[in-house]
Amino acid sequence: MNERPPALEMRGITKRFPGVLANDDITFDVRAGEIHALLGENGAGKTTLMNILYGLVSPDTGEVLVDGTPVTIRDPSNAIAQGIGMVHQHFMLVPVLTVAENVILGQELLRGPFLDLPQAARRIRELATQLGFDVDPDVRIEQLPVGQQQRVEILKAIYRGARILVLDEPTAVLTPQETVEVFTVLRRLQADGAAIVFISHKLEEVLAIADRITVIRRGKVVGTRRPSETSDVDLAVMMVGREVLLRVDRGKSHPGDVVLKTEGLRVKDDRGHEAVRGVDLEVRAGEILGIAGVAGNGQDELVDALVGLRRPAGGKVLLGGAEITGAPTRRIRDLGVAHVPGDRQRFGLVLPYPVEDNLVLTSFDEPPFATGPLNLLRNDAAIDEWSERLIKEFDIRTPSRDVRAATLSGGNQQKIIVAREFRGANRLVILDQPTRGLDVGSIEFIHRRAIEKRDAGTAILLTSADLDEVLELSDRIAVMFRGHIVAIFDAAVAERDRIGLLMAKGGAAAA
Amino acid sequence: MAKRAAVIFAFVVLVAASCGVIPGTSSGAKIGVVTDIGQLEDKSFNEYSWLGAQDGAKAIGAPAPQVIVTKDTADYAANIQQFIDQKYDVIVTIGFLIGTDTLKKAQANPNIQFFGVDQFVADPAPKNYQGLIFVEAQAGYLAGIVAANITKTNKIGAVGGRSDVPPVVNYIKGYQNAAKKENSSIQVAVNYVEDFNAPDKGQASAQTMINNGADVIFQVAGLTGAGALRAACTAKIWGIGVDVDQYNSLPDAKNCIVTSAEKHLQNAVRDALKRWKDKGAQGGNFVNDATNGGIGVSPIRNITPPAGLQAKIDKAIADMKAGTLDPLK
Amino acid sequence: MRQRIARRLSAAWRTASIPVLSTALALVVAGVVVIASSAFTGNGFQPLLPVGAYLQLFVGAFGSTTAIGNTLVAAAPLMLGGLAVGLGFKAGLFNIGVAGQFLAGAFAAAVVGASLATSTGIVAVPTAFVAGALAGAALGFIPGFLKARTGAHEVVTTIMLNNAIGFLLTWGVTDLVRAPGFSFPRTGDLGNSALPILLGRNLHIGVPIAFLAIFVIRWLLERTTVGFQIRTVGANPNAARYAGMSPLLVITFTMALSGLLAGMAGAVQMLGVIGFYASGISANVGFDSIAVALLGRSNPIGILFAALLFGAFRAGAPLMQITTSVPVEVIDIIEALVILFLAAELIVRRVFRIRAARAVPEEIATVTRTWGEQVAR
Repeated sequence: MNERPPALEMRGITKRFPGVLANDDITFDVRAGEIHALLGENGAGKTTLMNILYGLVSPDTGEVLVDGTPVTIRDPSNAIAQGIGMVHQHFMLVPVLTVAENVILGQELLRGPFLDLPQAARRIRELATQLGFDVDPDVRIEQLPVGQQQRVEILKAIYRGARILVLDEPTAVLTPQETVEVFTVLRRLQADGAAIVFISHKLEEVLAIADRITVIRRGKVVGTRRPSETSDVDLAVMMVGREVLLRVDRGKSHPGDVVLKTEGLRVKDDRGHEAVRGVDLEVRAGEILGIAGVAGNGQDELVDALVGLRRPAGGKVLLGGAEITGAPTRRIRDLGVAHVPGDRQRFGLVLPYPVEDNLVLTSFDEPPFATGPLNLLRNDAAIDEWSERLIKEFDIRTPSRDVRAATLSGGNQQKIIVAREFRGANRLVILDQPTRGLDVGSIEFIHRRAIEKRDAGTAILLTSADLDEVLELSDRIAVMFRGHIVAIFDAAVAERDRIGLLMAKGGAAAA
Repeated sequence: MAKRAAVIFAFVVLVAASCGVIPGTSSGAKIGVVTDIGQLEDKSFNEYSWLGAQDGAKAIGAPAPQVIVTKDTADYAANIQQFIDQKYDVIVTIGFLIGTDTLKKAQANPNIQFFGVDQFVADPAPKNYQGLIFVEAQAGYLAGIVAANITKTNKIGAVGGRSDVPPVVNYIKGYQNAAKKENSSIQVAVNYVEDFNAPDKGQASAQTMINNGADVIFQVAGLTGAGALRAACTAKIWGIGVDVDQYNSLPDAKNCIVTSAEKHLQNAVRDALKRWKDKGAQGGNFVNDATNGGIGVSPIRNITPPAGLQAKIDKAIADMKAGTLDPLK
Repeated sequence: MRQRIARRLSAAWRTASIPVLSTALALVVAGVVVIASSAFTGNGFQPLLPVGAYLQLFVGAFGSTTAIGNTLVAAAPLMLGGLAVGLGFKAGLFNIGVAGQFLAGAFAAAVVGASLATSTGIVAVPTAFVAGALAGAALGFIPGFLKARTGAHEVVTTIMLNNAIGFLLTWGVTDLVRAPGFSFPRTGDLGNSALPILLGRNLHIGVPIAFLAIFVIRWLLERTTVGFQIRTVGANPNAARYAGMSPLLVITFTMALSGLLAGMAGAVQMLGVIGFYASGISANVGFDSIAVALLGRSNPIGILFAALLFGAFRAGAPLMQITTSVPVEVIDIIEALVILFLAAELIVRRVFRIRAARAVPEEIATVTRTWGEQVAR
């Protein structure tokens, strides 16, 4: 249909990170004047693929062609020179500089030894008009709303001569209104002949904007569809995967009393928007309640509120009938709540610390690890013994207990946290994305431990953006969408397709 | 092996050479100077006292003096002690803050002569410790006469280092009193920046006065004052230096310095060394003032002196000598 | 056994190599400066001058028992100040306020000391010393509290407090506690409150106190649960919160303790060396302490050696000036270069061909961290 070669083509891209095959023989192309969506779950390999394209990561095998010519992209400036522009999920703008200054950063327009800002501003205004933007070049970035900031990012890419524009989850931080606006901009660019790669995990968006949709799962291309020949249900199945995965035999649960209960819980996110909008949940002793949902639908804020890292804006949290709403983390932990955090490196570990210190991070001041008056003294002997035991018991692969945690693989880092949090008799364990980014072996190990814990009578709350994981582990499944629990299923009768659709579209799918 | 021997030999040579730098013990008196906090070439107390020590050493036939520059209040005693340990005969210390330690060392070492520049020695004074003090108000008074006679706007200013340092205050009082006596309608703006080491603050302070119409600025503020004089030069008005002839010491402000209210530090230290040589141990305080040429104003520069100015200065000095003029009144 | 010693030595060298080599490189570069500038002096070009100067510096610092005493006396406040800064670094805090806390400690020690001048030393010395330490702690507590309560960055608040306290104390000594009988505003003589001299001319009891502090802080950081919390808050405040610690409490406590150490530095210097408070007394210790903490990698033992090095520079400088006429500013150049090379570690690695990659040391990271980043909310 089109004689010209694609503006961009990636052929047979494979990239292996230690323990993870991030991209497995991916082939993908986008033509001038086309919007091609790349759809996949978090961790499916989309970002790795785009980092390869932008010269941040080099592929093990495979080639990249621009206008039919093979190119080697060593670094971002190289990518820019090839006409590839990238709009990252997190904006790369300097808040205290003006729009014009940000756009020309690195490509400064000079008059003699000085910046020629008026000239730059003029050119930026021309470009903005041409693209149908409304952006004042003299305003400082920090004064702009997020949607406008994103336009500045797009403007920056176009200013640098990008003909191939990659947008990594561009709508993740936008309001619905801003999303509509950015779509208008993208269509304008498309009409001008730009080739656009649109990365997302939101079904309705890709169906609305893309000419073609390629779905990748676990580093592999599952298939490419046109919006006219597919449906959201179809895409959800492709995205989540239908083959049966290695399953841990979890046996039947024997639920006991209610351990955790929330009533109308409301929690705000960092931007002050309500991320959890009235959640009612119950988790019983000896059962695993899984919360399925696409990342960013309020799960993080929900977990933060349960463990005391975030103060609820409303509602109640009850632990064994006693109210712990807004209690400090310390007290909640003392009441028998353990927590495997979603961001293990940011929250779960102190990377420069040795393994042994990380193994007592949440119990360092309790006997036997602390002794003396007010438990002020560290008891190294007890910590050593404990560490050796956990390292063996949880199969943490480390040269010794005094190696820095930073040097271990992701799987072993996660095992440190799981070992630490699963210690002793907890009433409730919160597992937040417990296997994200881990290899199959570690995943299986952690799943098995979780089930053992359940069978020992602990209540477990699991959140995961990986539907397979939720299906595999949970006794009951709650689907979270835009801050609401939109449905709760018994695992025995849960249908994967229906849950996938609820994750992507919320309550509307029920109709 | 040969290589190692060569290295050792080279080291021995170096050590020997370095020892050669140590001045040979001469039969003459060894004179040491411990400065106030700051740098040696401060165009002020440290530098001119040091020059005075060099002049004095020459005048009495002593070998070249040595100096230890003080960088911290806590080092005063150790620095003085270093000269004592090295068996120096005369130790000159500079500035009032070092006075306490100088007194202690003088009491402990009665065979060493101590001179304290700008130090007042309270009774009972050791026989071997003499404070060299100056009557700042007299010098400030002379500067005030100059300022009053060259101003065209009838507005003059003074930038002070710290309001809690009496010499600074005395200079400025003398300056104010002279100006008022010369011309009662004159306005004198005075600002204490409370910092001796901030040229930028001095510049800003002077600039404020200039903006208010002042056309002569007197600085009594060390490095801060250098900034004040720079402001005067930039605004093409006149500046008056302090302590030493800043026409020479501050090339930056050379084109706008009319005169400086001087402590004749160099003379004072030189004369002190001569007194010691001629009369033996010196104690108490030695007042450097108009009577012994210890203070004065530098020659008028950059401007044709208004008729009668020199006569007015001479008259004031004569009155001070005679004791009929109190610059603080 | 021998293997274990070798392993420990190599671990120590891994930590100490960059500071040691930075110091060596600084001495060499400063030597070149000395040679070059000798050409402009009356004595003419002297290519061997640095050798002589450094030799005299060494003799002045270690050549006799008196010299060693001087070095230790100069090092004592730097140890305490270095600990103050280093402790802050451990908690991810940059306490630039050591200068002000030092002055506050010196002032309080001077005032209390002078008022107890005629009491018996057993009472007077500890009381004056504790007064100084507590004054520093109080001043350190303020920025800690402000940071914990409002998020105000400690760099900003401590710098402002440095200025504020300087003026406040000038007012205090001029108008409140000025002693009669002196030609300028100062506090009275210390009398029996002066630190007892243990050895020689000036080796006062503050020296063993400083050594003790080194080991107490090391013990606190390594062996206690409080130290574990301090280090955790510094290394990963998010993990600290997750683990149920209270970064706000830890920050406030650490700043107060840091101020306490800085106040002790001021008290030691005041009661052991200076003897009276007057406006204009130096707070160099406050700023040199930052250099000491950086050079010592905020490790108490490292701080001990860094303080001894800086103390030796200070103690040796007078002899160097007398005997070789090399100006004391060379010491400033050396100290500045040491810090420059520490920060620009890459240069040192190039020169000495050190390959092993290493993360940015935490204290450098603390210094260079952008203000936008909030440690705790």
